[in-house]
Amino acid sequence: MQPRGYWSDAIRRLRKRKLAMLCFWIVAMYAGLAAFIWIGDILVTHLDWKIPIVQWNEHVGPSYQKPAAQYEFVPEMKTESQKGWCLLGTDFMGQSTFRKTLYGAKTAMMVAFCASIISILIGVPLGALAGYYRGWVDDAIVWFYTTLGTIPYILLLMAFAVVLRGAHIGPWELRGSVSVYLAIGLTSWVGLCRLIRGEIIKRKESEYVLAARAMGCSDFRILFFHLLPNVFHIILINFSLRFVSFIHAEVILSFLGLGETDKPSWGAMIDAARTELARDVWWEMAAATVAIFIISLALNIFSDALRDCLDPKLRMD
Amino acid sequence: MTAFIIRRLLYMFPIVLGVLLVTFTLFTLIGGDISQQIAGKNADAETIAEIRHEYGLDKPLFWSWDSQFVNHFKKALFFDFGRAMDRERISSKILRGIVPSLMLTVPMFIGVIISAVSLALIIAYVRGTIWDVSAVVICVAGMSIPYLSFIIFGQYFFAYKLDWFPIIYLPEEPMIKSVGLPILIGILASLGGELRFYRTIMLDEMRNDYVRTAFAKGLSTTRVLFKHVLKNAMIPIITNVVLTIPHLILGSFLLERFFGIPGLGYLMIEAIGARDFFVINAMTFIFSLLIVIFTLLADICYAFVDPRISLK
Amino acid sequence: MRQTKAYLIICCILAAVWGCEKKKTAADGEMVICRPMISKVQTLDPTNTRDIYSALVVSQMCEQLYVYHYLKRPYQLIPLLAESMPAISDDGMTYTIRIKQGIRFQDDPCFPDGKGRELKASDFVYAFKRLANAKYASQNWSVFDDRIVGLNDFREYSKGFKKEWDVDYSKPVEGLQALDDYTLQIKLTRPWPQILELALNDYCTSPVPFEAVQHYGVDIVSHPVGTGPYRLKTWQRSSYIELEKNLNWRGELYPSEGEPEDQVNGLLADAGKPVPFADRIIFRIIEEDQPNWLLFMRGKLDVMYIPKDNFDKVMMPDKKRLMSFMQDQQIKLTIFNDPSTFWVGFNMKDPVLGPNLPLRKAISRAIDRQKYIDILFNGRVQVAHGLVSPGLNSYDPNMADYGYSRFDLNEARALLKEAEAIYGKPIPKLTLAMPGTDTLPKQMGQLLQRMLEQAGIQIQVDYMDFPTYMERQNKGQCQMFISGVSASCPDAMDFLEMFASKYFAPGSNKFFYSNPEFDALYEQVAVMQDSPDRLAWYRKLEHMILDDYPAAFMTHRITFYLGHDWYKNYKPFVFGYGVLKYHRVDVEQREQFFNRIHSSKKEGK
Repeated sequence: MQPRGYWSDAIRRLRKRKLAMLCFWIVAMYAGLAAFIWIGDILVTHLDWKIPIVQWNEHVGPSYQKPAAQYEFVPEMKTESQKGWCLLGTDFMGQSTFRKTLYGAKTAMMVAFCASIISILIGVPLGALAGYYRGWVDDAIVWFYTTLGTIPYILLLMAFAVVLRGAHIGPWELRGSVSVYLAIGLTSWVGLCRLIRGEIIKRKESEYVLAARAMGCSDFRILFFHLLPNVFHIILINFSLRFVSFIHAEVILSFLGLGETDKPSWGAMIDAARTELARDVWWEMAAATVAIFIISLALNIFSDALRDCLDPKLRMD
Repeated sequence: MTAFIIRRLLYMFPIVLGVLLVTFTLFTLIGGDISQQIAGKNADAETIAEIRHEYGLDKPLFWSWDSQFVNHFKKALFFDFGRAMDRERISSKILRGIVPSLMLTVPMFIGVIISAVSLALIIAYVRGTIWDVSAVVICVAGMSIPYLSFIIFGQYFFAYKLDWFPIIYLPEEPMIKSVGLPILIGILASLGGELRFYRTIMLDEMRNDYVRTAFAKGLSTTRVLFKHVLKNAMIPIITNVVLTIPHLILGSFLLERFFGIPGLGYLMIEAIGARDFFVINAMTFIFSLLIVIFTLLADICYAFVDPRISLK
Repeated sequence: MRQTKAYLIICCILAAVWGCEKKKTAADGEMVICRPMISKVQTLDPTNTRDIYSALVVSQMCEQLYVYHYLKRPYQLIPLLAESMPAISDDGMTYTIRIKQGIRFQDDPCFPDGKGRELKASDFVYAFKRLANAKYASQNWSVFDDRIVGLNDFREYSKGFKKEWDVDYSKPVEGLQALDDYTLQIKLTRPWPQILELALNDYCTSPVPFEAVQHYGVDIVSHPVGTGPYRLKTWQRSSYIELEKNLNWRGELYPSEGEPEDQVNGLLADAGKPVPFADRIIFRIIEEDQPNWLLFMRGKLDVMYIPKDNFDKVMMPDKKRLMSFMQDQQIKLTIFNDPSTFWVGFNMKDPVLGPNLPLRKAISRAIDRQKYIDILFNGRVQVAHGLVSPGLNSYDPNMADYGYSRFDLNEARALLKEAEAIYGKPIPKLTLAMPGTDTLPKQMGQLLQRMLEQAGIQIQVDYMDFPTYMERQNKGQCQMFISGVSASCPDAMDFLEMFASKYFAPGSNKFFYSNPEFDALYEQVAVMQDSPDRLAWYRKLEHMILDDYPAAFMTHRITFYLGHDWYKNYKPFVFGYGVLKYHRVDVEQREQFFNRIHSSKKEGK
């Protein structure tokens, strides 16, 4: 069993790393922003609140205005023109690139978060069952994840995304974002499952498990109340490492036309640059790229530090 | 050794079987019917029924000697994937795509390996200094830029603005000209991750006792690095190389799409746009099979190179 | 030492690879036409060709009985494989067509000894039967359904066979007979005044020799065997298609009559010369705009459309002339109406939209089409005030006066109130099906969503790939949908047909629009021969549709066509594709252009 102060120790070690803490706050800021926009979006669409920063689809100027350029325009439903400017310019419809970039944070975080949850919900129980029971359960689960792991990831992701998009599962039809969450989540639990299985095998003969068994605890109780809490740090590390790759996966799916379609996303913004660069509209792509760059960099550095602090021996792929 | 290989060969079967089950579930059970697309815009019910018959979509799913499930396995067993939605043989589509894909990925791969390994050696040489730290930061930064941005920007800047490279593959020009820029972009975009990987391998290797001994014997750092560390690090490097080969054949689909290189990645993207499940299915199966085979090869190589690996 | 050797070897390999320097596009003096192709070509089998990209290639290789004259306007049909215009019986039901003698198919391994054989009337009978073959499942069958005596029976009969090639073509069809080797007789079930325009002029009735069908089987999609001026040399799917001259072609002379302006525009300079001019035609398949644009500007493509993102940079603000730097490059611009119409369609079976005329009208009024065009199309389309597009015979130039497509937010809001009264509660969120997931469809969807929102109509846009879209549309699962059509002949019948209830989807009526009054009139007009009266009836039918708002008609396309000065004899030709034989490239002029950009590049460096 891990010593009592395991988590507080780890946090103390983490705190000593200045860079990692900076990155942590950056990530927290993104998460806070995403949460703010998520709530704001609900208020705007359902309760008709006016929160300009969340209203990405508001018409704020003529189309394709350069960042910080002054312009005059006639807002919708009005007759007299007014002056204005946009920090990061406007897109084809005269929407603010800045607001779209902020909204993109919500989209990306939602994709990464939901996909992570799905992959944890599949990977952890399967890994735990395989590691704990061994025997044919183990064989079946290992066979299953080896199979999925054998299919090249990018092929598997594309195949899932294209099949799930608009598919009917029972009475539900999978719309835009849900199919993205599912496609990414369903294809990326293999690594986590493998790790959890290994860790459970290592720990299942340890003293605290034997003690629990001696006290007559059920398998279920041992597995979920004694073993799993002790491998929680692995889930956490895996979560933070995977998060970045999920954000990047969303970009690629957007390019393939399989991503989020009716809300702004960083992937769609970069994709739009394919044609827009011809008319020297670079700001949409630049804004989205920088947004992705910062969160990826911060998450990469932070999750490395997290891994070092929680479990220095652990190395993923 | 023979027993080891045979055991590993036998182990391949359940995996291949699993892949077939997954593709069947995806493309037949969930994916559904694509006959409408082939039949055309104003097709009547009869035409659609006919197309369904032509592609065997009207057969029972299970429980028959001629069910879609059995045919799915038959197709894979005989490598006869039938025809794509545009009625070209899928096998000829795939065969045609291999060479262009390799033209792009092989030089790219060699470039990445050579530059990443040599840079990793240099970093191992200066380990612990500010250079090491900044190299790692640059690597992570490189990994953080989306691949799509790399390509869009690279193509725009080097081909449109500077006109150093052809913008797209033109069939009448030699392939080598058109793949220059995508190779360059590919190397730049994947260098960060690869370099970090090889640096870790090198540094792990340097922690070993034999390195300490070598230094203690008074060998120069260069000699230790090239004679000992590199030699021993070759095992993970080679394994990595062997495991990457199937992905090379698959090509780099984003680069192929942007530069119009008619390889397998391009084929895949086209199939996705058209929802051509027949092609996607065939590609998924073939590449999974390749990966199974190459994993086996990598294991065998590993076993040959490193006598410490037990053959159990 | 060993290392030096390795380096030498690597250097040699590199040198060898670089050494195979560029193969030239054209041998000296050879005339090659290079054209952009913005979509993948699906098939080169004429009988199953439906999309314009395949048609563009197919129609250079395969010929039909009749075509439109290249230069004369209004468009006039002339015989191509036929010797003369058909003899039509008085009841308009029997067509007797003489076929030119001595026409040969291109040489192909499918013929014994590889030499193309002579074209016979029986080849046309075979072509029609093949079209009807249910096992062949041609996309074009709907055009011929219930038109020719006995052909539907043949279709039934063909269903009894297992495979396409098992079907016995010797079973006679009463309405299709080769009276002798050079006479074809077609009997119709009812008068079909548009048979020449819609069928005998269409590439899908091109004769295909049965030898080729037997020899190639399904692979005939990539082995077209026709009678046209060109034959297929290479088809590298998703890269390029190359055609070369068909040496078996009978030959033809460049037309010497045309419109008065043609003389001025130099289109008659080649009058009387033998065509085809170009030795080879290359279609480059590149789906993205920007690479195509760059290739055109560097002279690697002879002609080009103007991509939306380049429009502002190359066109004067009046949207009529090119900027001077383009003129300096001696690039010529041709602007013409493309006979096409695009709309936001409504599903009339839908319980919200179907019974609610004010709602459909409100949606139409809420769309500011001019703004839609300005933002998304840069003036490359024009507002559609009705269904029938400019360039068709029954187009009414005063359509705008009726105001079917006017933008009026206040009226839209008032209509919405009315609509809510009919529906009994607030109108729920409507769903718009958008084909395509690329940037442009996304932008279209967002813009429409915003425009309707201003009038208080909430919509959700469902972006889907084309296959899914088509399937949902045919099953009637789309509430609203973006769609469009392009005319293949100056007769608007196939536009009107989309609203007849006998053509419900999966036929062409995707609206599920059903109006007994319209149907009755449609049946009458459909069998009428051309006359001023018929024109009036066409317009009456169009108004019946417009008054019911089964769709909000949005735009007609305008084509902005760019061509280098060396590309000669280009004239807009919208009803057919087989005209590349008339086009000519001035090889010397093109060479000069290359030298010019080459030297300017050097100076730049």
